[in-house]
Amino acid sequence: MQRDLVIKWHFPHPPEKVWKYLTEPELISQWLMKNDFQPVIGHKFQFQAKPIPKMGFDGNIFCEVLEIIPNKKLVYTWKGGPKPGVIGLDTTLTWSLSPEGEGTRLVLEHTGFKGWKNYLASIFMEQGWKKGIARRFANVLNEME
Amino acid sequence: MKSTMDPFHAIADASRREILILLTKDKQTINTLAGNFDMSRPAVSKHVKVLYEAGLILIKDQGRERYCELNPAGLDEIKSWLTFFDQFWNNKLQNLEDLLNKQADL
Repeated sequence: MQRDLVIKWHFPHPPEKVWKYLTEPELISQWLMKNDFQPVIGHKFQFQAKPIPKMGFDGNIFCEVLEIIPNKKLVYTWKGGPKPGVIGLDTTLTWSLSPEGEGTRLVLEHTGFKGWKNYLASIFMEQGWKKGIARRFANVLNEME
Repeated sequence: MKSTMDPFHAIADASRREILILLTKDKQTINTLAGNFDMSRPAVSKHVKVLYEAGLILIKDQGRERYCELNPAGLDEIKSWLTFFDQFWNNKLQNLEDLLNKQADL
């Protein structure tokens, strides 16, 4: 199972302006979260969110910039887990901007949700289980879908 | 009690992960499961209870035996993530829109 989240939004402001708010750390922090983003492919950065223990999430979001097309497209990874080094949520954010009338159409795609089977697999890996066991386990879980 | 309901707590224990691994092969009785461990049957039974309360396994009576099997529904928290992030992004984008509108007024 893997499903995606797609959110569409219209801003009555030009793409160049919206782009700034997606790519300048101080501006991002004003509407999203504190961060150390840099618009450089390969740059690794973090967001600090509220922890959600019930979902195995400690509030740290680890990101890496994958793609940048100024004023049009921004892609970065969005990963989190129950503690440092353990990733349960391994997803990707794609921000696409296009002119719409006088303003901007934003399409935000949040993709790669696999549920916590992912987390199971990663915890087995992390704790030094034999790779074969982790893989077999992951396979069985996948077959159950 | 609440902590034992947490699937992440449930799999934090090596024996319980071992039980889950064993159950990926086939459903098993608690006795069969216990045969794989050095610990006592009641100890295994306790672990099984934690896994059951976390929604990770199902326990079914079949004849005179109680069988444990993986619970596919319990192994799927995807819906809660999607619901969470749907709400999250809608809130954040509303923030952004408000912020942009405020800037435009200046």
